[in-house]
Amino acid sequence: MRPLTLGRLFLRCGILAIILFIVVVIALKLGAVQVSLYGLGRDLIHVLLGRSNAISTEYGMVVINIRLPRILLGIFVGAALAVAGTSFQALLRNPLADPYVLGVSSGASVGAILALIVENHLALSPAFAGLVTPVGAFLGAALTIGAVYLLGRHNGQIDSSTLLLGGIITASFLQAVINFLMSTVLGGNLRGASYWLMGDLSTPQPRSLLYVLGIGFVIAAGAIYTTAADLNLLLAGEKEAMHLGVDVRRVRIVVYLAASILTGLAVSVSGTIGYVGLLVPHVMRLVFGSDHRMLLPAAALGGAIALVIADTLARTVVAPSELPVGAVTAIVGAPLFIYLLRRRLA
Amino acid sequence: MLRLPSNFARGLTSTLGACLLVAANSAAQAPSPATTAATHEVVDEAGRSIRVPLSPARIISLAPSLTETVYALGLQDRLVGDTDYCDYPPEAQKKPKVGGAINPSLEEIAALHPDLVLVTKDFNRLETVRALEALGIPSYAIDPHTVADILSSTHKLADVLGAPDAGKTLENELHQRLAALQTKLAGIPPRRVLFIVWTEPLISIGKQTFIADALREAGAVSIVESEQSWPQMNLEEVVRLQPDYLVFAASHSSGAERDFDVLAGRPGWDILQAVQNRRFAVISEAVNRPAPRIVSAIEELARQLHPEVFREASPPSKDVPAAKPAPADRTSSSSLTIPITPSSAAKELACAR
Amino acid sequence: MNTIARSPLASPDRPNANTDVRLSVEQVSYAYSPNPSQAPIFTLEALSFQAKPGEIVAVLGPNASGKSTLLKLISGALQPLSGRIFLNNFVIHSLPTKTRAQRIALVQQESTLIFPSLVWEFVLQGRHPYGRSLRFESESDIIIAKNALAQVGALHLSDRPMDKISGGEKQRVILARALAQQPLLLLLDEPTLHLDIGAQVDLLDNLRRLAAENRYSVVVVTHELNLAGEYADQVVLMQKGKCLRVGSPAAVYQRELLEQVFQAPLSVVIAPSGRPRVTLFSNT
Repeated sequence: MRPLTLGRLFLRCGILAIILFIVVVIALKLGAVQVSLYGLGRDLIHVLLGRSNAISTEYGMVVINIRLPRILLGIFVGAALAVAGTSFQALLRNPLADPYVLGVSSGASVGAILALIVENHLALSPAFAGLVTPVGAFLGAALTIGAVYLLGRHNGQIDSSTLLLGGIITASFLQAVINFLMSTVLGGNLRGASYWLMGDLSTPQPRSLLYVLGIGFVIAAGAIYTTAADLNLLLAGEKEAMHLGVDVRRVRIVVYLAASILTGLAVSVSGTIGYVGLLVPHVMRLVFGSDHRMLLPAAALGGAIALVIADTLARTVVAPSELPVGAVTAIVGAPLFIYLLRRRLA
Repeated sequence: MLRLPSNFARGLTSTLGACLLVAANSAAQAPSPATTAATHEVVDEAGRSIRVPLSPARIISLAPSLTETVYALGLQDRLVGDTDYCDYPPEAQKKPKVGGAINPSLEEIAALHPDLVLVTKDFNRLETVRALEALGIPSYAIDPHTVADILSSTHKLADVLGAPDAGKTLENELHQRLAALQTKLAGIPPRRVLFIVWTEPLISIGKQTFIADALREAGAVSIVESEQSWPQMNLEEVVRLQPDYLVFAASHSSGAERDFDVLAGRPGWDILQAVQNRRFAVISEAVNRPAPRIVSAIEELARQLHPEVFREASPPSKDVPAAKPAPADRTSSSSLTIPITPSSAAKELACAR
Repeated sequence: MNTIARSPLASPDRPNANTDVRLSVEQVSYAYSPNPSQAPIFTLEALSFQAKPGEIVAVLGPNASGKSTLLKLISGALQPLSGRIFLNNFVIHSLPTKTRAQRIALVQQESTLIFPSLVWEFVLQGRHPYGRSLRFESESDIIIAKNALAQVGALHLSDRPMDKISGGEKQRVILARALAQQPLLLLLDEPTLHLDIGAQVDLLDNLRRLAAENRYSVVVVTHELNLAGEYADQVVLMQKGKCLRVGSPAAVYQRELLEQVFQAPLSVVIAPSGRPRVTLFSNT
């Protein structure tokens, strides 16, 4: 009997954070341009201490302006998707749930495509120009969240199976809308849309957007974490959970909204990157068990690690070209999924 | 009982992220190295106002057509990088590669320290241009919709690159060739053609594209009335319109003959008279690229569609870039059409690139 | 066995009533309407009974007699249409969920676990009503959970996953979780359904012992005539939503009454212990 304590939680998260740090350092080193880590570290420290303003142009511009934001984006998106996946698996009581099962990503895609179409007709100042697609995507996600919530209600509260059905139907409907938009309105200009849909971290995002993402993540993931102990009980049975003092209705709404918002935020900047939200929770469960007080932070860190690795592979394996990161997660994810499945059945 | 403040583990990640963000923020505000060369403002064909050096010495091209144009202007020594798909002229394949046109590697581009990046509004993504802007690298976009646009684009590009004479010479030469062609074709009714981009699904080109305009210059008219760039066509509609010729752009003409035979065997296609009478034309893929070489493709097409005008044909013209020799550009084979027998003068096998 | 002392209860709804009675069901009825246009269906007509600390009450009857509805009303999941249910003079339904969970523990057939936890994790869930959302379990929580497992004789199963233990063992673990809640009232819904006779006797022996030692009031819903007869201190006999009789097993187990309720030929014999034994006859 080794119950989870704060100390143990910290220790395990600390180890994962160190692994993440190492992965980030390696990711900073790899790429088209050679980087001297020592020099980079020294310059970063100087900058943090405010001692020098410029970084030597050898690698500074490349690393700080291109690679680092991309890595940070990977951390955020990986963590958001993994936490959302864990939450949906608990909420829907289904090990096959991933962040996209309730249609949020399809809604975001529709929003993004509409934004792409509208953008062609607007002449926006550069400050706003980079925001149209992510904002459009997030609006699409938000509307879908609302619609699926209304569909998923039964007797006034969210019911797991109804929610799942409502989400799947919505996702499938929205996919049809996407196909329609792509074949008619966009006509031949499919490249931008399909690239976005494949999942892509290579587009640098405006700095303001990154801050919004970070804050949104902390708030949404934090909200889910407050229900972590409740989720453990919910998974053991709903009626039992109610009799053990869990406010089932409140927990369901909080988790549904927060996890959907996390998914919406992630998808609006990176498209639909698959397998991270599905598999990272399972792997972390194998290592740390099903207690969500440990599982949620572990999934966040694990998702960040996984996606940074995948993105680094995506941009180095066939250099100078790039693979879409969704392809890398699929190639690695599918065999891993089969392995986990067999292990579970064994 | 312990009272746990929320977000503890998250705090760890957030702090790490915040540190990196702070570093990124402050570092990124460092000014990019100032260019010592003199610069001027130009407006590109997408309406953007950009600041470029008077004579950019390091250029990267993100579209095969632009690479070709740079070579045609004789400025290839200034080209320091191009895409994986830039294959004409063959020397272009030896230039450092920065990836695809849609997803070039920003790092590779930045590592080459370009003064100017060339893009096309149709082919490249806006995100790429914005990302380059954020890095302080200017990009110049061309956006030609007609053959005349292509010519003037070439001229304007030469101006921006600081080689106005080369531009003027090239433009004049191309203009003359087109004018000569128009003279030959004067008074002759244009052939109605279907330009086939893809067979399954059947995709053709819209009225507003430069390819449609190229067809016009070659004495043809596309039967497709769509406003979209790459409209998907209904075979029934094509049958109703009964084009005189089918036009393909291919790299090898022998392959094209085989493809045509395969197509002719498919159900529904044999209703087309063009298929029954084997009236098809194959031209080089240069027609897909808004570059000087499109004029050769136009001439090729004209030759195949109106062979009677070219009976006393002069030897096929070459792509002559200003003051530099260029590989000869050979026309593709003509098709067998009834009742005109194949003319030996017009029949030359080609390997258009 | 350690029963950690519990803080005194806040002011009750009925301060002057009989403090000897722990559970008091008073004229409670329940009805529901499947849809607004239809007349409500009465699943439970007004019934009353009481339970003292240390007592086992069996709610006995065939299927669809309203037993489960009664249990849901007592647990606070449903609100009675009329009447009230008091636990130590507090109206159960108006207690906040957490407080209710600290006083009433429900033992049910548990649903399939999607992500099976370990036995000790499962039992520790019983401590959930005693802390704030984000806390981790304290030393005393762990001791209570261990005791609960020991009291049902399942301490050796602590580190096993829940999906790797037998049905009888699982039932004991679920009971242990209920005990970890340190309740005043234990509710059990058909606990012997999937158990063999040995396990059934085991469970009920445990219940009787625990009720006596820890002064629980226990309400067991069952249709097992002989088990109820053997172990219950009181029996509430129900049929089609009506309560037909309340009393000691010997008082309630009248042959004609039982035959009418269970629709089968029976014979009732009182054993030397005073407990009734029911035998079934076949019709031929």
